[in-house]
Amino acid sequence: MQMLNYTGFNYSVTALFWLASAALTIGLWRRTQLWRAGQPAAFLWLNLLAIPKRYFVDLHHVVSREPYIARTHVATAGGAVATLALVAVNYGLMMYSAALNWAILSATTIMLGGVFFIWLRRRNAPARLSRGAWSRLPYTLAAFAIGLLIISLPVPIISGSVALLALLLLLAGSAELALGIGLGGPMKHAIAGLLHLAFHPRQERFSGKLSTALKPLMLENGQYGVSKPSDFKWNQLLGFDACVQCGKCEAACPAFAAGQPLNPKKLIQDLVIGLSNDEKSGATDASFAGSPYPGVAVGDHSGSIHAPIIPLLIPAETLWSCTTCRACVQECPMLIEHVDAIVDMRRNLTLTQGSAPGKAPQTLENLRETSTVGGYDRNARYHWAVDLDVKTIQKNSPVDILLVAGEGAFDMRYQRSLRALVKLLKAANLDFAIMGALERDTGDTARRLGDEATFQMLAKQNIETFNSLTFKRIVTADPHVMHSLKNEYPAFGGHYQVLHHTTLLAELVSSGQLKLEKSTETRKLTYHDPCYLGRYNGETEAPRTLLKSIGLQINEMERSGLRGRCCGGGGGAPLTDIPGKQRIPDIRIQDARSIDAELVAVACPQCTSMLEGVVGKRPDVLDIAELLASALDQNVEPAR
Amino acid sequence: MRYPHLFSPLTLNKLTLRNRIVSTAHAEVYAEPGGLPGERYIRYYEEKAKGGLGLAICGGSSPVSINSPQSWWKSVNLSTDKIIEPLSNLAEAMHKHGAKIMIQATHMGRRSAYYGEHWPHLVTPSGVREPVHRGNAKTIEYEEIRRIIKDFALAAKRVQDAGMDGIEISAAHQHLIDQFWSPRSNFRTDDFGGSLINRMRFGVEVLSAVREAVGADFCVGMRMCGDEFHEDGLDHETLKEIAQYMSETGLIDFISVVGSGADTHNTIANCMPPMALPPEPFVHLAAGIKSVIKIPLMHAQSIRDATQAERILENGWVDLVGMTRSHLADPHIVTKIRDGREDEIKQCVGANYCIDRQYLGQDVLCIQNAATSREATMPHIIAKSSGPKRKVVVIGAGPAGLEAARVAAERGHDVVLFERNSSVGGQVNLASKVPQREQMAGIIRWFDMETKRLGIDRRFGVDADVAMILAEKPDIVVLATGGSSHIHQVPAWGVAEGLAVSSWDILSEKVAPGKNVLIYDSMSTHAGFGTADFIASRGNNVELVTPDVKVADDVGGTTFPIFYRRLYSLGIIPTPNYWLDRVYAEGDKKIAVIRNEYTDEIEERAVDQVVIENGTTPNDTLYWALKEQSVNHGQTDIDTLFASQPQPALSMPLKADEFLLYRVGDCISMHNIHGAIYDALRLCKDF
Repeated sequence: MQMLNYTGFNYSVTALFWLASAALTIGLWRRTQLWRAGQPAAFLWLNLLAIPKRYFVDLHHVVSREPYIARTHVATAGGAVATLALVAVNYGLMMYSAALNWAILSATTIMLGGVFFIWLRRRNAPARLSRGAWSRLPYTLAAFAIGLLIISLPVPIISGSVALLALLLLLAGSAELALGIGLGGPMKHAIAGLLHLAFHPRQERFSGKLSTALKPLMLENGQYGVSKPSDFKWNQLLGFDACVQCGKCEAACPAFAAGQPLNPKKLIQDLVIGLSNDEKSGATDASFAGSPYPGVAVGDHSGSIHAPIIPLLIPAETLWSCTTCRACVQECPMLIEHVDAIVDMRRNLTLTQGSAPGKAPQTLENLRETSTVGGYDRNARYHWAVDLDVKTIQKNSPVDILLVAGEGAFDMRYQRSLRALVKLLKAANLDFAIMGALERDTGDTARRLGDEATFQMLAKQNIETFNSLTFKRIVTADPHVMHSLKNEYPAFGGHYQVLHHTTLLAELVSSGQLKLEKSTETRKLTYHDPCYLGRYNGETEAPRTLLKSIGLQINEMERSGLRGRCCGGGGGAPLTDIPGKQRIPDIRIQDARSIDAELVAVACPQCTSMLEGVVGKRPDVLDIAELLASALDQNVEPAR
Repeated sequence: MRYPHLFSPLTLNKLTLRNRIVSTAHAEVYAEPGGLPGERYIRYYEEKAKGGLGLAICGGSSPVSINSPQSWWKSVNLSTDKIIEPLSNLAEAMHKHGAKIMIQATHMGRRSAYYGEHWPHLVTPSGVREPVHRGNAKTIEYEEIRRIIKDFALAAKRVQDAGMDGIEISAAHQHLIDQFWSPRSNFRTDDFGGSLINRMRFGVEVLSAVREAVGADFCVGMRMCGDEFHEDGLDHETLKEIAQYMSETGLIDFISVVGSGADTHNTIANCMPPMALPPEPFVHLAAGIKSVIKIPLMHAQSIRDATQAERILENGWVDLVGMTRSHLADPHIVTKIRDGREDEIKQCVGANYCIDRQYLGQDVLCIQNAATSREATMPHIIAKSSGPKRKVVVIGAGPAGLEAARVAAERGHDVVLFERNSSVGGQVNLASKVPQREQMAGIIRWFDMETKRLGIDRRFGVDADVAMILAEKPDIVVLATGGSSHIHQVPAWGVAEGLAVSSWDILSEKVAPGKNVLIYDSMSTHAGFGTADFIASRGNNVELVTPDVKVADDVGGTTFPIFYRRLYSLGIIPTPNYWLDRVYAEGDKKIAVIRNEYTDEIEERAVDQVVIENGTTPNDTLYWALKEQSVNHGQTDIDTLFASQPQPALSMPLKADEFLLYRVGDCISMHNIHGAIYDALRLCKDF
């Protein structure tokens, strides 16, 4: 047997390295061209420097929720990055140092360990994981690692055929790594993911703040949302491309669970199809190897960068199934903003076609004509407070707290919660006033339904009203109202201190200003986090503190806090009412039933009405304000 | 939004009501001697305020003058300054819960009786006697008119000084003001008679004086009739003219309309429409009046249901709905409507037990709610017991047993309810078989739903015996086994021989009605006439024999006219003042031997069927079987019971196999539905 020509062998690895690097560069250039088909967005090269922190802190924060895969990824990606760096030095720069080979050997071993666990998981993969190209990844990565491992072995045990094998393995592995970006293979996630961290459309996310407000449309500049993939901002397209198809979004999505035709992962993948094809290459979704949109066949849809997304690429019902609960965004390890994308596309449908389904068009008309969701007389919004001896805010008459009741005030059920809240505010001797007939809907529902024009009209009207009044803080029992006023009005010049009622009440209880007795409630209780309070505003503690303060023990459901499951009431979903196999609130009540809860505490009018809408025997639903009010000393305040 | 109209506030003058539901003025018969509201009176109204209503108008027919007697119906006396303090207590109690309170003020004129109190000579425009109250009266003179107008003003000022929210001047039910209006009672030829404008003069002057006394901002309303239903009375068109004129004076802030005159026995029955009348029978009269006035209109009369009330408002027929008897049945009706608990509302069925008592000068009570007007001692909302959880076994699911089971379950106890029949209801099931009295079943429907809602272990078709009861290991056994038809009292009636059958046999359809039937009714309650109606409605000939002074003598002032309408239209022959001595057979006929109470004269009737209604006799077999085994020997301590205190035996520790035994309702002795329910509530509220 002829001994291997080591020099020639090293050269071939070097050649392979540079070839792969060239392929990668060309692929990256091609891919950037695809992203650049999107609309311009603020761009700063310096952001590239932020990648390490964002990767190791912000992204890791999400990934680490699943320790198995976090550790596996650290080993695989860490090993791979180290290996590549070492190969770049030792082979790329033709140093051929034995010591560096030792290092390569260690790095590839670590990588191989990681790959082993990927392979192990793939053998019994959860349904949310995509198959297809992703199923080959353990093998190609293993090929890369094993190839390099053999090459870097210190002992010349390699015969010609083994060397050839090693080179072939390396070639196969390098192809996965190098061509992934250009050909849109799984490994594009590495590059797109890192760049997405740098150029993320919501830069605020990395400063430790919640960033949940929708970005305003410049209607006066003719912006009407997204009709075709190229209407997205380029960095949104970049974000879609970062998707690893892990399906965490799918597993969290309430609409998917209810069998409505929405799967956030599929949605992102469809957009990837749209962004990565032109009219000529226009491709179908046939190669998608994950869970479909429930009830929608895979393979019937196709798209390209300048072709209308709806309905060719994505069914309209998919968009209208979303409750905007942000559970997908919360779960996404690649920090993709699914809800923004959905609302962008809804905006186009609503603003240019007026094609929102179900009761949505009537609702939008109501909002335009009456400034209420239900088409009510605004004067009727505070009828429930007539006998409570509450001030209505007047111009030139300052108050500490302005109570904004929201649409729930027209609902006789929610009026109970509001009355309880008023009782509590009175018991705490606060200087507060209700907004009375001056209140218009915040426009939250219009905005989620894509009617940015109506939202902006209402926002401007409300801001004008607020600015004519004198108050220190706004308090509301409706997290949707809170979100609009607190997070979305600033973009229109409305800057207010806005509190959810549970936050204010927790403050009052802890300061002793509100004195409560122990609750006489004996039923087994759980607390359902409203999405717009938890995920949108980060408030998960005040409600729990309050319940504990009156001696109630909280039995947590499987999905709670920032990972709480939606009630189905957000985003106008009850209005568009896209059919599924079951209703989202039924699932949520089942969550409560499964821990034998007899009472579900809530903190949102939407959640109240959705959960109470579940038919059959179910736990009772009470707002935290109601539970607290029943713990007031009954002798002080008569029941009403 | 559910009930957008019902819960839409309304402003009368400066007064804002939180919703459109009103308890309209009615005679309560609760005032303390001298006509002053005391604790009972105030708590009765406060309960409605707690229950969420917008406005209560109390004091139906509260007189402003001392020659309008108040004592017959224990009315509120507005003719004295002593009234201010109790009324201010009442106002405070109502306002605490966000409700508003007004009072009705009136002068009854001839609509009263002279023989009592100050023995006044009653006054009326033309000295014409009032038939219903046997109200002999003199013709009113100018000086008296002036004095009474001044009395109205003084009374209104007292009401205002007490902090009440308004006053309603009654010109309805043939009080003095509408005695002036009505051509039936006003034959004067002076400034107060003749033309309509003259006949309205007294009322306008009263309202002017009242307005002057209370100022522009105080709410003043007027109650009037929508049609007297008398050929010689005020018709709807005339009353529309009056309403329009009165509203255009600007003196009043609302008009309340009731259908029907009230000065005969037959018309009076319309005023608080019993269950025989259709729902809201006179809303068209209210709507007619609303069409000519520019101020809000209030109307009550058989508006018993939330959706009905909402519909009436939505149609624009009225602005405020009176749900007065509905509040007697369930003072928390508004909160239950508001909070989506409509199924828990104890709905008025129009049995008119309340008003039929009132006409006898008795305090108003609800046939199905024993807590109403007993708020000081009887709870409307049963609190959970803080004592031991007990096993309570109730036998019998008539009204007494249902109430016992309900109250015990609300107290938090483990309740088993045995019923021999296949459904709840007991004797009420028979009562509801009577034509036009089907709504009696509504009483049971509520108990049925509540006992289900409370998760009571209800066992139907089980004739519980001692062994079955003891097998439940009860702490307390409540017997509510009711009674059986008492037809064996007089053997000569021939029941054993098959010569006579019971009213129960007929109403339960166990026995088909005969062609020519004699009904012997020794009780004169609803059952006897109801059986007669049941048989006659099926095309048979009926003679109704009773020893009482008239048939259906014990059913009350608003019920007997309904019965009599049917009696005459169906051709039922009323034969009062006769006893049934015996029945014998002759061929295929039964011969009923009846004897005149006053002459002892004997008569015979040859009929196909003799039906006997003789009340009930207690079903007490179980009681005697259990009595000696029970710790308390079946005794209910009446000192504590009557004082609304817990039974002493409840505080005794019970050993295993020991139990307490109580009885409620007809299984002790025959009471009525209210009595059965009250028995159970007062006993079980402390379990």
